[in-house]
Amino acid sequence: MAAHLLPVPLGDYVGLSAVMFFIGAAGVIVRRNPLVMLMSIELMFNAANLLFVSYARAWLNDAGHVFAFLVITVAAAEAAIALAIVVITFRASDRVDVDDVRTLHG
Amino acid sequence: MSALFWVPAVVLIASALWTITASKPVYSVVALLVNFTALAVFFLTLSAEFLAMIQLIVYSGAILVLFLFVIALLSSGVAPLSLGPNRLPRIALPAAICIAVALGLVVAGAAATHVLPVPAPAALRSAGPAGAANVFGSVQDFGRALFTTYLLPFEVTALILMVAVIGVIVLAGEETPYVATRRRAAETRKAMREAIAREGD
Amino acid sequence: MILTALLLPLCGAALCWAFGPWLRRAAGWLATAMVAASFALVVATRGGHEALFTWMPGFRFGLSLDPLSLLWALVITGVGCAIHLYSIGYMDGDRGFARFFAYMNFFIFAMLLLVLSDNWVGLLVGWGLVGLASYFLIGFWFERRTAVAAARKAFVINVVGDVGMMFAIFLLVANVHSIRYADAFAAAPTLGPNLLYWICAGLFLAAAAKSAQVPLHTWLPDAMEGPTPVSALIHAATMVTAGVYLVARCAPLWDQSASAQMLVGTIGALTAIAGAILGAAQWDIKRILAYSTMSQIGYMIMGVGVGAYAGGIAHFFTHAFFKAQLFLASGIVIHALNNEQDVRLMGGLRKRMPLAFWATLTGVLAICGVPGFSGFFSKDAVIAGTLLHGHPYMYAIGILTAGITAYYMFRLLFITFFGEYRGNVDPAALGITREPAESGPPHEPEGTHKHHAPSWIMGLPVALLMVPTVVAGWLLFSSNGGPSPWDRFFASQFPTHVLASSPVPDWVTSAITFAVVLIGFGTAAWRYATREAQKNAVARLREESLRMPALLLHGYYVDALIDIVFVRGARLLGSVFGRIVDPYLIDGAVRETAISAQALGSGVRLLQSGLVRAYAFVIAVGVGCFLVYYFVTGMPH
Repeated sequence: MAAHLLPVPLGDYVGLSAVMFFIGAAGVIVRRNPLVMLMSIELMFNAANLLFVSYARAWLNDAGHVFAFLVITVAAAEAAIALAIVVITFRASDRVDVDDVRTLHG
Repeated sequence: MSALFWVPAVVLIASALWTITASKPVYSVVALLVNFTALAVFFLTLSAEFLAMIQLIVYSGAILVLFLFVIALLSSGVAPLSLGPNRLPRIALPAAICIAVALGLVVAGAAATHVLPVPAPAALRSAGPAGAANVFGSVQDFGRALFTTYLLPFEVTALILMVAVIGVIVLAGEETPYVATRRRAAETRKAMREAIAREGD
Repeated sequence: MILTALLLPLCGAALCWAFGPWLRRAAGWLATAMVAASFALVVATRGGHEALFTWMPGFRFGLSLDPLSLLWALVITGVGCAIHLYSIGYMDGDRGFARFFAYMNFFIFAMLLLVLSDNWVGLLVGWGLVGLASYFLIGFWFERRTAVAAARKAFVINVVGDVGMMFAIFLLVANVHSIRYADAFAAAPTLGPNLLYWICAGLFLAAAAKSAQVPLHTWLPDAMEGPTPVSALIHAATMVTAGVYLVARCAPLWDQSASAQMLVGTIGALTAIAGAILGAAQWDIKRILAYSTMSQIGYMIMGVGVGAYAGGIAHFFTHAFFKAQLFLASGIVIHALNNEQDVRLMGGLRKRMPLAFWATLTGVLAICGVPGFSGFFSKDAVIAGTLLHGHPYMYAIGILTAGITAYYMFRLLFITFFGEYRGNVDPAALGITREPAESGPPHEPEGTHKHHAPSWIMGLPVALLMVPTVVAGWLLFSSNGGPSPWDRFFASQFPTHVLASSPVPDWVTSAITFAVVLIGFGTAAWRYATREAQKNAVARLREESLRMPALLLHGYYVDALIDIVFVRGARLLGSVFGRIVDPYLIDGAVRETAISAQALGSGVRLLQSGLVRAYAFVIAVGVGCFLVYYFVTGMPH
């Protein structure tokens, strides 16, 4: 199985993961649509997963895989809760904008 | 072999960028689907076969569909993305600078990192107990790890999922008198003021 | 047995309290029976020790019945039984009939606990509970403000004493590591004079408060607001002598500290003469007896203070009988005269109330120490004891006080029972200038009395008490010149106090004392009992009333002094704290804390914009800072 070879140095995976993570971070900060923000958060989760799996492969350690699995699970739970909140918050609104939700300002 | 890295890498970055810049949330979902698929390819090349399947089934199959449902529910097409100056928040420029700096540092750091010795393919087979057909990253291998060494985290995860389900039911299950948006808050305040005025009369 | 004797009155109290409305008059009989049963048990037991339980190492509780406890227990239950019986008649028709007997039985229990306990903790508990019972009973007629005020005063002053006792017990337990008397007494010689002096001083503070010694005596005259049987039982016979018991009980401590003995003896002598002088200046029959009680307890304290323990407690023994009898006789008079207590409005009662007259006469003869009556033996034992232990000035005070005692007691007898009845005379003509507020309100709520002659229930205890009033002192008489039965009985209790030879023979002391008593009697007879004096009684009493020195009428202004020093002092301190320390220091600190927290909060709340994306940005900046830091310093390994 050729796929079992690690074709490129680990540093490339780290860089790729970082790029993807910061694209997600930029999405959270810049976008005002809560759905897109949530998707950006998913991007960040996946960047982390990529790193976990890369290091698991490099060190031949199963822990990375298990952690990635846990992250996927938690991400699913988080998405379900967050989407529920989005639904009840913007249910009667004709505009979907997180900046409108400022009830907790000081 | 580097094509197996660079082609999915380009797809990954491009789809990520598309996700955060798409003018409509539905486009973002599509871009994210592409992104997740590319990531699944990476998992395959990194010997994480089971995770690649999970990535496709859970992320692409379940979570993204959930997003689509919510988008449909909110008819959110009415809030199009606009990157015009009035729509871009004031923090966008400093944020971009900050993120660029951080990203540069990480990438530079990654390049400077000592590259770990890559184990030979033969090592993939010798990691397991003698006699067992134990291939690193296989479903068998992953399953054994998950249900022996990491059983407790796995059970806790089940608990977290259950809590999430209960939470969702509590939050969205019935009509809550939850006032969140500015407009609804203002409406409520106005209604209360009128009610108080009526009481005064 | 001892435990049963102790708990019977408590059961009686609980039953009277719980079932009072159903028991009605039976409550009185029940309570009396309980005390009588307790008396019978004490007589049957006569001595011994009962271990109850061990709480923790060094805290072993038990009851003991040694000669000293036995004497007190017999007086408490014996006199207590007689007074309970008397109360059935005296309190008849009162709305709080059952409540009264619940309190009385509770008092008997508390007092028994006090004297039967074999340890300091039991003593302290009993000590506090008798104070509580006294508070209940002084304020028994709680509709009257004066009664409530008197009860409060008594309680507060007693608590001052309780603090002293706790202080002493803390010192003892900390140094001896045991709460039992026996251990403390065994360790007494090793405690060192300084520590011992403070222990004794703390104990004596308690004794002085409970036994109305100068300057903590002011509550006793006021305590006469309670029903007369209460005055007889608690404020004459038993509770107020708890101080004497305490000093006698702690004899091994006092023997080690001459300075503490000096303190006790001096205070006792001072109280004896101060109380006697005040007693000569009163018009209220119960207040005369109250000051007399204070004076007689002064004798006892003086006796046990100088080391004449057997004599001091003998005076307690005889005093319990004759003073209870005097109070009960005065109760008959007060009862019959529709709650009149001013002796100026009495007079000529000898023929109308022969029993009261004879009872009072016997009591007066006994308290004055007429040879043959009980007071003669015990008082002379105290007076002789002071000289024996080397305190000539106390000897002199004791003899002088005996004379004053004779004067004021015969004054009481002559004004009340001789001459013409003055109840119909206008009070102003007798020089009675009492404001409505001060005038003693009826001692019972009005309209509660249907009969004015003492029934046999009230007469019987008085008649019974006349017997020990006469003969109780005979125990101190030794026919053959050796130790008297009394001394033999207490020889085991106070082994070191076998009388040595006195510089003055006992018969000389008795003769001097009796001569002074005769002078006192003569003065009283000359002023109140001559034919001429009785003819002009109204004018003479009026003159005496108007000429009474203000110093004596106000009880040496001790109350005013206490008010100035402690009450106003406390108020001054309080106002200083209330006006300066509290608003500026304490409130100021709190306010400043609140203001600075508010200021800080109003600054920080600007950061809480409510914009989720701004928060995310701040997090991103933080992540960036960390990355820069690690890039510069290198990743930690």
